Amino acid sequence: MKSFVRMSYPYILWIAVFIVAPMIMILLYALTRTGNGTLTFQFTLENFSRFFSDPDFLRVLWTSLRIALITTVFCILIGYPAALFIANLPEKRQTLMILLLTLPMWINMLLKTYAWRGILMNFDLESEAKVFIGMVYDFLPYMVIQIHTAISKLDRDLLVASYDLGANRWQSFLKVTLPLSVPGIISGITLVFLPAVSSFVIPKLLGGGNYVLIGNLIEKYFLVAGDWNFGSAISLIMALIIIASMYLTKKIDRNAEED
Amino acid sequence: MKKNRNTPKLTRCFLSLLLILSLAVTAVPALGEAAEDFGGATLNVYNWGEYIDEGMNVIRSFEKKYNCRVNYKTYESNEILYTQIEAGDSAWDILVPSDYMVERLIAKNMLQPLDKSIITEEDLSGLTEGVKNLSYDPDNTYSVPYLWQSVGIAYDKTKIDPAVVEEKGWEIFLDPAYAGHTDMYDSERDAFMIALKSLGYSANTENEEEIQAAYEWLLKMNSAVNPFYVTDEVIEDMSQGYRWLALIYSGDAAYAISQNENMEFCAPKQGTNIAVDAMVIPANARNPRLANLFIKHIMSYDSALAISADVGYASPNDRVLQELSGPGGDYEGNSAYLPRFGYEKDEIFHDSQVLQARLAELWIKVMSAK
Repeated sequence: MKSFVRMSYPYILWIAVFIVAPMIMILLYALTRTGNGTLTFQFTLENFSRFFSDPDFLRVLWTSLRIALITTVFCILIGYPAALFIANLPEKRQTLMILLLTLPMWINMLLKTYAWRGILMNFDLESEAKVFIGMVYDFLPYMVIQIHTAISKLDRDLLVASYDLGANRWQSFLKVTLPLSVPGIISGITLVFLPAVSSFVIPKLLGGGNYVLIGNLIEKYFLVAGDWNFGSAISLIMALIIIASMYLTKKIDRNAEED
Repeated sequence: MKKNRNTPKLTRCFLSLLLILSLAVTAVPALGEAAEDFGGATLNVYNWGEYIDEGMNVIRSFEKKYNCRVNYKTYESNEILYTQIEAGDSAWDILVPSDYMVERLIAKNMLQPLDKSIITEEDLSGLTEGVKNLSYDPDNTYSVPYLWQSVGIAYDKTKIDPAVVEEKGWEIFLDPAYAGHTDMYDSERDAFMIALKSLGYSANTENEEEIQAAYEWLLKMNSAVNPFYVTDEVIEDMSQGYRWLALIYSGDAAYAISQNENMEFCAPKQGTNIAVDAMVIPANARNPRLANLFIKHIMSYDSALAISADVGYASPNDRVLQELSGPGGDYEGNSAYLPRFGYEKDEIFHDSQVLQARLAELWIKVMSAK
């Protein structure tokens, strides 16, 4: 056992250098004023009060969350039936379907989004609708694969038992398949919602930049305004939201398992 | 730095002696006509994306001539470039920042003077009037222009009457008739420039009242034409005729016009920004001699012609500029290729990090306003 523990050292080192250290630096930047010396920090909460007291920033945060949320809901609505359909196919066909599903993921995201931009340019749609088409298209495979994995792991005997006890197809779906596939939905949500909150390329290209999102905000403050302190504060707020939503989904997952 | 401190004194003496000797050897000018041989040395060039001739023959011929290797990389914005250089990235021998960024780099002692024994007065005399004696570096002590351009309006002349554009200038971006058909470039400095010029102020103003007035102007623009905020997408949008109206760099407009004959370019009467991207050598460049030779090579007629013809931005080389825009040239009759110069209301941006930060903050608010 001990030798296995040792094998995780490179990973722990990796995390320390590339994740923990930068996070600490972001935290330091977020909690200090500009113009610090190397050793004299002036701590302040100004950056946070500046963010939360400005209706424009709050609207940007809300837009980011809203777009991510709606994208996730659409991914579940479209992804679940698709996953269910695939899981009920013969084994060989399933592999083919999953391959077809993941095929577009081999293409660069930016390239795909530019293609969508060209296609959607011919249709007179609200720019918000265009954003959702692009977002759902890009994130859907993650959702389908997670749900499909959960459903195909399901013990078929449970369904047989439920039919034996007189349940019709719809009832056994509601009482057996759906509850047992919740973990798949949860990990699908984690894979869709979290990246969707911080994505800004798709909304920018398809929504004509009419959407300033939290990702754009961070980029502007770091690169253009050169205000690393405020930029870090926004990044931190974003990180906290992500951690909170991960905690929440984990909790729902656990509750579902206990039921 | 840290490593050096630990090396024994004797080794250090020896190393510095070696360094001086090697410098002395390379500094001896080549005899006769043959170009110097740099024995496969590497020159690190950092330029804008999509900003050199197709196939990079300009680079290949330089490598051949001096027996060196050019490591050519690209960046997206002056700010990204500056952030990297400021963080101590010393990997570069040649950079191509814009005017105001050259100004900042000079002020911070981050550049080294050009070697005027290599880049001679004769070379510099080939520069066109529009890029001579520029305020950020009047006698080309640190920089030589690479390409230049002005900011203006691109429009579809089958949809908008050219007379209207000429008459209104920047004010056209306040006309609700073009709602849903307008691209606005996502750049705080350029957006504020058109607002300030429209109001009759300087694009370099730091007067808070004038900035506030420009902010109001942009909010009005945002609700009047509800523009698409774009960056490089503007090139495709105008080439394909997806939009009627756009704020655009003349070099991009020149390309769009060459692709789509309905497109036209206008440098507004209220004045605009003249922008110059210039080649400079960082103070900590590893191969300054080769870097100076590179600048001279790019300034030559052949290189300047290849670059400007392919990129569509105006050449700083007068002969190339006249030839490309003149009869039989690639950009004959293209209203965007030849930038306007000598117009008293046109300005070059000056560097101000305070102004930049202020405008960035206000610009985010304009874009996110509903």
